[in-house]
Amino acid sequence: MEVSHDLSFIPLIQNASVLVQLVMGLLLLVSLMSWWYIFLKMFTVRLAVKQSKVFEEEFWNNSDLNQLYREVAAAHQDAGSMGRIFAAGFAEFIKLKKKQGVDNSAVLEGTRRAMRATYQREMDNLEAHLSFLASVGSVSPYVGLFGTVWGIMNAFRSLSNVGQATLAHVAPGIAEALIATAMGLFAAIPAVVAYNRYAHDVGRLSSRFESFMEEFSNVLQRQP
Amino acid sequence: MSAMIYDEPYKLPAGILALAVHSAFFLLLYFGIHWQAQPPQGMVVDIWNSLPEINPPAQVAPPQAAPVAPPPPVIKPVELPKRIEPLRPALPPKVDIALADKKKPPVKSSAPKLIEPAPPAMPPRENRAALEAQLAAMQAAQSAQAEQARIRAEQAALIGKIVNEHIAKIVAKIRRNIVLPPDVPDNALAEFDVTLLPGGSVLNAKLSKPSGDAAYDNAVERAILKAQPLPLPSDVALFGQFRELHLKFSPKE
Repeated sequence: MEVSHDLSFIPLIQNASVLVQLVMGLLLLVSLMSWWYIFLKMFTVRLAVKQSKVFEEEFWNNSDLNQLYREVAAAHQDAGSMGRIFAAGFAEFIKLKKKQGVDNSAVLEGTRRAMRATYQREMDNLEAHLSFLASVGSVSPYVGLFGTVWGIMNAFRSLSNVGQATLAHVAPGIAEALIATAMGLFAAIPAVVAYNRYAHDVGRLSSRFESFMEEFSNVLQRQP
Repeated sequence: MSAMIYDEPYKLPAGILALAVHSAFFLLLYFGIHWQAQPPQGMVVDIWNSLPEINPPAQVAPPQAAPVAPPPPVIKPVELPKRIEPLRPALPPKVDIALADKKKPPVKSSAPKLIEPAPPAMPPRENRAALEAQLAAMQAAQSAQAEQARIRAEQAALIGKIVNEHIAKIVAKIRRNIVLPPDVPDNALAEFDVTLLPGGSVLNAKLSKPSGDAAYDNAVERAILKAQPLPLPSDVALFGQFRELHLKFSPKE
């Protein structure tokens, strides 16, 4: 009945109903995870781009493929996706070359298959968690909205006990319910932005890998 | 060869950064936004027609606290001539003699014996004169104070009348606006602390003692807000009496 409610931040959350609090907790968790993935992806994608650039320069400046292969195999983890694709392809090529009676096109075919397998694995690694960001971006506003609708329903239901309704009776309930929507949006907006950004970056990396595979196949074809 | 699931070296920094983002956002919400909109405390400005209101309190104080010293300078010139006339003529010569005698000693240092009797005789007379003057001053001051007190009492009575009249008007106006909810017990008594602004608008109406019937309390509160502007006396100086009102409402009357 009292007119003045404390509308500051913490009591507003504490006074919310259990379901709304659950929704808020879920959204907070989701938001934490999505931000974690956002930063994780930011670092990984940036690293992958840098490593690919370094490797490409090395590849085109270095005429001795054997030596390059040894370097890449030695620094396996740090070689980057493109280096690993190269290593897989070159190892397969050497193996097939050693075998007698395998004609040139079959050697190249095997090499490409080996490279494609590694390429798939690398892409899978780069794209991991992106779908999580996408679903956070699309679902969490609805979850927040659910919490809000529930909170507003409660606010109006408690209003029925009061003979004469004033705005002061409904306002706190609606305010605390709307926090759920705010949290949903807070989780969703960065997730959507990050998803678009990283999907674009990963797409560019993938086309770079594919063109490298083609070029490398050409180089191998010219190999005696 | 590449069956390893690449361990990601950035898990920890990414987690820390995510936490940092959230705590920054939380702090922003907590400290950056004033969630409760405080109703403006209202610039209360007193409008004075003139300054007389400041003097009365100053005059009220002296009778109890201050001795005789402060009043004489104020009232002496007015009252003394009438009452102390008989004493007056006697005073000047004595004072003059005393003054003359006092002037003489430094000048006539060679004849101290002649004037010797004078100094012992003079002081008592001088003292008496001073005492009488003081007494007269006190009497004058007292009568003046009594006069002022009477005037003040009259004024206070007049003001009290006006104030009561207007409080009755305010209550009546509010009462007209009460929409009585059904089933209110006759003995319900709601008390409100109402804060007014000059001009009669209501800054704040707070239920100080609920009647026990919430619907009636609400009805009265709405009526108070609806009755704005409340009738105030045209004399702005009286507004001070109306700033804080304690009003009682009961459905019976």
